[in-house]
Order: sequence, then C-alpha cells, then structure tokens
Amino acid sequence: MKNSDGQLYTIEGLAAALVMLLTAYFVINATSVYTAGDTHITDMQLEALGTDALRVMDANESRLTGSPLRNIISNVTFTDNQTFGTMFGNLINSRTGAAADHIQYSASYSYRDLGDNSMKSMFINASRNLSGGEHAVRATKWVIANVKGDGLPGDSSYIPGFSPPQNRSVLVEVLLWRD
Amino acid sequence: MAGLNDDAQWIVLMGFLVSFSFFFLALVINQSTVVGQTTAESVIEFPKNDIRDTREIMIRSWDLGNYNTVNYNTVKEDIKIISKSRKNAVVKFDDRIWGNDMHFHYPLYYNNGVTEYYENWTSL
Repeated sequence: MKNSDGQLYTIEGLAAALVMLLTAYFVINATSVYTAGDTHITDMQLEALGTDALRVMDANESRLTGSPLRNIISNVTFTDNQTFGTMFGNLINSRTGAAADHIQYSASYSYRDLGDNSMKSMFINASRNLSGGEHAVRATKWVIANVKGDGLPGDSSYIPGFSPPQNRSVLVEVLLWRD
Repeated sequence: MAGLNDDAQWIVLMGFLVSFSFFFLALVINQSTVVGQTTAESVIEFPKNDIRDTREIMIRSWDLGNYNTVNYNTVKEDIKIISKSRKNAVVKFDDRIWGNDMHFHYPLYYNNGVTEYYENWTSL
C-alpha cells in the first residue's frame, strides 16, 4: 500500500497550500489596514476628556464662591474669556510628562432669548480659529448662572432681555480637536 | 499532473482542503471590522454624559423653586428649549409632588429619540 513515489506530490501540495494561504493573508491585510471603528474610539476619548474638564471647572472652589465656570458665564468680560482659555487649555492639554498635548478648542455658550424663545450663541474663547477642516467633537455642560444687565456692550453680562438679576440656564459648548 | 502518475491525489486534496478552510476563516475575521465599528458607534451614541448632565441641572434647578419661583420657571424653560434645539433631546421635569411616603418626588424624563430615561428622584 505505502511507497515513497508520491513525495514530489506532497511537496507540491504543501507549496500550493502555502501560496494560497499567503495570497489570502496579503489580500486581507491590504483591505483592512484601517479600521473605521478606531476613529470613533479616539473621538469618544476626546469627548470624555472635554466633558471631564468642564465638570472640573463647574466644581465649587469653596463654600462661599461659585464654580469658575459659573463665574465666567455670569460675568463674561474679556478677562473672563481669557480665564476660561487658560484653565480649560491647561486641563485638557496637561500630560504626565513636561510636554503639553496639542488639543485645540473653541468654546461658546447657548442661551434662550426671552423675547421670542430663539436660541442665541455667545462666543467665549478659542485656542484656534475654526476653519471647517477640523474633525471636532463636542462636549457640553449645563450651567445655572446668575446674570444681570441689559445686554449692552460693557455690561456685566451679555445675555439680554431683563434688568433685575436673574438666574438663567445656559449650555456651554466646546468643540475639541487635535491639531 | 496529467502526465504523471496519480499516487498522491489525496495529498493535493488535503492541500485544497486546508486552503479552503483558511479562506473561510479569513471571511470570518473580515467581519470583525464591521463589528468593531458598530460597537464603537453605539458606545458614542449612548448619551451617558448628556443624561447625567441634564439630570444634574434639573435637580439643581429645583433648589431655585424653593425660594424664587420666577427664576425657577425661567430656568426650567431655558433647559427645555435649549435641550431641544442644541441637544436634540426632549426633557420634561415636573414640579415636586408631596408623596404619601412623606418625601418630595421629582419626576424627570429624557428622550433623544434613541435613548429614553425616566427617573423618580426622591428627596430626603
């Protein structure tokens, strides 16, 4: 039954199998170099980082003062915008090493116009100008701020529509992207 | 192999068998790309942070209702309208109810079309 006549066939069979396996391996490797799901994972991490930073900024510093984020919204002046920029920029870009990260942001907040219930948006601060080419994610935080003023420039707040100080709820929105 | 003898046909057959089995294995592995994408998408679409944040602001706003009803109604309206236009979510929260269990109950509701959240928050 057994003899050694078919050794060449054995080698040929093995070689054919190897060639086919290698072909399949290369073809599959070529088509799935980049998994689309991976982009969502980095987006998710960036969004979580931004949300956490906003939560940190909305924590009260002491029993007597409000959170930094609430104070910034309540009294949006040029210095407050810079305070937001410094604090938020430090929070999202700090790493364990000495070198900072390269995450850019653009922050604004939305509020309701009391006159016609329309949405208005107010710019806070940005590390870069938005060009439209960024692959940005959005992190948001609700803030209840005590605002006063009639919305004229130079006022203590830019949310118009009332004269006595009033509590208003605004949505702070930050776009984050790596650059 | 026409001119040769046909002693080793089963070896060639085995070669084909192994190759095809690996081919179908590769098909299975190929599906992992799709699986990874849908998983990551469903994770990012689940509004965990939105619900937590909205819940927090609703509970905080009830404190306003204890001493300033005008501000409370303004803030309530702010949350509802901003949530609809900027977060694509319908939120609803009613005034507190004094329950039979001697606690205040605050019903709150969140729906963004995909995920629905309802909570009956109870005061101390």
